[in-house]
Amino acid sequence: MATVNNLLLHKGKDVWSVQADSTVRETLQLMGEKNIGAVLVMENQKIVGIFSERDYARHASRKGSMLLEEPIHSLMTHSVYYVSPVQTVEEVMALMTSKKIRHLPVMDNERLVGLISIGDVVKQIMSDKETTILGLENYILGRDYSG
Amino acid sequence: MATVKDLLKAKFTQVWYVTPTSTVSDALKLLAEQQIGAVLVVEAGKIVGIFSERDFARKALLPEVNLGTPVGDLMVRGVYYVTPDQSVESCMAMMTAKRFRHLPVLEDGKLVGVISIGDVIRQIMSEKDSTIQSLEDYIWVHMI
Repeated sequence: MATVNNLLLHKGKDVWSVQADSTVRETLQLMGEKNIGAVLVMENQKIVGIFSERDYARHASRKGSMLLEEPIHSLMTHSVYYVSPVQTVEEVMALMTSKKIRHLPVMDNERLVGLISIGDVVKQIMSDKETTILGLENYILGRDYSG
Repeated sequence: MATVKDLLKAKFTQVWYVTPTSTVSDALKLLAEQQIGAVLVVEAGKIVGIFSERDFARKALLPEVNLGTPVGDLMVRGVYYVTPDQSVESCMAMMTAKRFRHLPVLEDGKLVGVISIGDVIRQIMSEKDSTIQSLEDYIWVHMI
């Protein structure tokens, strides 16, 4: 069964982050350039939050303002769930589904080693299922032909 | 193999939309209230665009954009759509290729629902699971 580690091998370990005192403007700029939906927010090399397109839309709506010069720490989501590289993609999927989150940082002994999205996870699970189906079909055909 | 029609049956399909003259603020409020990521933009009964959290985040930096800007200025035009008899796999292919999370469903030019990438994935996963189940059953019954 595939683990988070397998995912990171495929997608690389690039993690985009901003500092907690970065402005919303700087953060949106980075997200646009990298075409990503969320970034991690760091302070003293520790994750202190995550900021997504959804966070921005919700805050702007609630405050009735574009908030472009606000520091990102006032808009980010504080409670960041994370996973470890040895967890299975199924566990990750379950966590993302139950918490309704699209992105999870990957921590290896308190060291940030990646950020995975629901898209990465789904792709992996789909391809695992495909492989299982192919294996079962081959097993059946193989036995039929030899027998 | 499941079609878009099956997906629409399985979920309660309330389609949320705004008009091109609605403000960004109106659209964001609707997204928040309904906990959705995108709304259709409809004018005189026709879909003219779609507006998502991503569109807002990407265009917020343009100097002329604020919460009073009409959605018509920020929406993505030329919306792709699917029809009820299309296979769920074909929707998945379109969503993956174009990186869409939502697709409107049109029947004879009329809007009958919206499907999300979540709906599509759930359906495909459950089909794969039942394929695996029946292959395993076959092996138990016929081969062991």
